[in-house]
Amino acid sequence: MTPIAVWYLNRATGIVVLVLMTLTVVLGAVVRRQVRLPGLPRFGSVALHRNVSLIAALLLLTHIVTAVIDSYVSIGWLAVLVPFASGWKPLAVGLGTLAVDLLILIIVTSLLRLRIPERVWRGVHWTSYLLWPLAFLHGLTAGTDMTSGWVLGLALVCAGAVAVSAAVAWTGRTRAGGRAPAAVAATRSALSRGSRVAVFRNR
Amino acid sequence: MTASLALPGVLEGRGPDLADHLATFGPLPPADALDLATRAELTGRGGAGFPTAVKLRSVLAAARATRRPPVVVANAAEGEPAAAKDGALLATAPHLVLDGLFLVAGTLGADTLVLAAPGRLHRAVEPALAARRRDDVRLHASPDRFLAGEESALVAAIDGGEPLPMAKFPPIRERGVEGRPTLVANIETLARLALLARGRADAGDHTLVTRRAEVAGAALVDVADVALGARLGEVLRIDRGVPAVLVGGYHGTWLPAAVARDVRLDRESLADVGATLGAGVLAALPAGRCGLRETARVMSYLAAESAGQCGPCLNGLPRIAGALELLARPGRFDGRLLKDVTRWCGLVAGRGACRHPDGSVRLVASALQVFRDEIRGHAAGRCVARDRRPFLPVPGSAR
Repeated sequence: MTPIAVWYLNRATGIVVLVLMTLTVVLGAVVRRQVRLPGLPRFGSVALHRNVSLIAALLLLTHIVTAVIDSYVSIGWLAVLVPFASGWKPLAVGLGTLAVDLLILIIVTSLLRLRIPERVWRGVHWTSYLLWPLAFLHGLTAGTDMTSGWVLGLALVCAGAVAVSAAVAWTGRTRAGGRAPAAVAATRSALSRGSRVAVFRNR
Repeated sequence: MTASLALPGVLEGRGPDLADHLATFGPLPPADALDLATRAELTGRGGAGFPTAVKLRSVLAAARATRRPPVVVANAAEGEPAAAKDGALLATAPHLVLDGLFLVAGTLGADTLVLAAPGRLHRAVEPALAARRRDDVRLHASPDRFLAGEESALVAAIDGGEPLPMAKFPPIRERGVEGRPTLVANIETLARLALLARGRADAGDHTLVTRRAEVAGAALVDVADVALGARLGEVLRIDRGVPAVLVGGYHGTWLPAAVARDVRLDRESLADVGATLGAGVLAALPAGRCGLRETARVMSYLAAESAGQCGPCLNGLPRIAGALELLARPGRFDGRLLKDVTRWCGLVAGRGACRHPDGSVRLVASALQVFRDEIRGHAAGRCVARDRRPFLPVPGSAR
């Protein structure tokens, strides 16, 4: 593979990984709020979230490998896991390294979910909202494409999608105490009108 | 209605003064709570009627197995709006409750004691607690929620969380407050242990009941210490026009007046007519009131008090409550409504983390049976009720 092809592959996978990670975060909010995607049962949303994240991880691997073997910049193998150890743009690459470390932690805890305490899994999983901005900043500072053209437009759309997902995921849960009175009021009005009674979520 | 006893009963206390308490009941002799509970075959007074000795033994075993000192919680949360016995007991004989609490703590080797009571009762209890000068008792303010007194909900609240029932595995007796083996006992049970320790062998054969009736248009509410096995008609005033009596509380059952007058207040006799003593509420529905209206109001309250954690309860109870509200109004209603209510009742029982849906459904099923004629009347547009005033207390309801 010619050197320039390595660089192009690195850029391309970087952009695609950005899109896929954004999609993962959005699907994560979908799973949390138990929203049904059209044509898909709810466990389908969970499976989609999982599979998209794993595809993103695979492409990320390609992104990392091409970055290291690219002879034009000196990013050693150590910099893959240790932040700020890169020879070239240590800060910018380091942000990406931090994101990778978080991602490895998230994936490993998810694979071992049944063996670890639920709180641990949940706490680590929420760091995905830290992971995404780190990766985004990495793209801005280490990458060459995100500051102009259609890539900038794409990046802004992705950022907006993640912001909306964060708001939806963090604020979505109704407090346990408020669900029952709301359900009583809604059911009473539906029954007296003769219309269908809604189904109330217990989460 | 209760004969005055030669020796003081549970309600004979004179308030939070320690000297008065010792004058009325005498000093507390050292005793083994497990031994007392076993010999008197004492059952819990919190509503479930579980044998106290078995509970004590299991917490003791759990404490030995986990090698952690247990916690004892005295439960005065009294989430049942119609019941007033725990409040009355705390007001008249708080030291008797504390005696029982310390007795149990000594037997179990517990180093942390909690007295859980609603905030409005704290004024009655704080002077008594201060007089005992023990530093291992904590006063916990339980909220005025129906489920606040449920064992796991209470433990969750004491640990700083929401007062919502939790999964029953591992059981509270093994993993409760701070993850330690925990005994949750109703304060009346503890007070009776304190009486048993003083040689009152019949303390376990009596129980506190909250009586509700209406005499000459005025509400009559009191708490009485009655003998188990007494006839309900002798304990509660059931006038001739009374259509039905609510036995147990809001998770209890309605009994037709004729049945209620003759039934005896013990587990077997009540079980024969499909009832339990529960929280000890005995309410005689006054003549001229509609039992369906009362049940519908209570059911709306119970539905709103659901913890909202389990789908069947959160969805089923509001539907049953809404349907009851429609059935409670005279006028045309959909013929399928009754069938729907019966079906929903069957779908909801046994499917929650706690017994809230089961108890609520029991009340509804008994109402549908006892007030059959009223339902038929309502379907034809007639209602027997001359009086629309509410009888059973429902917090936060004006209807």
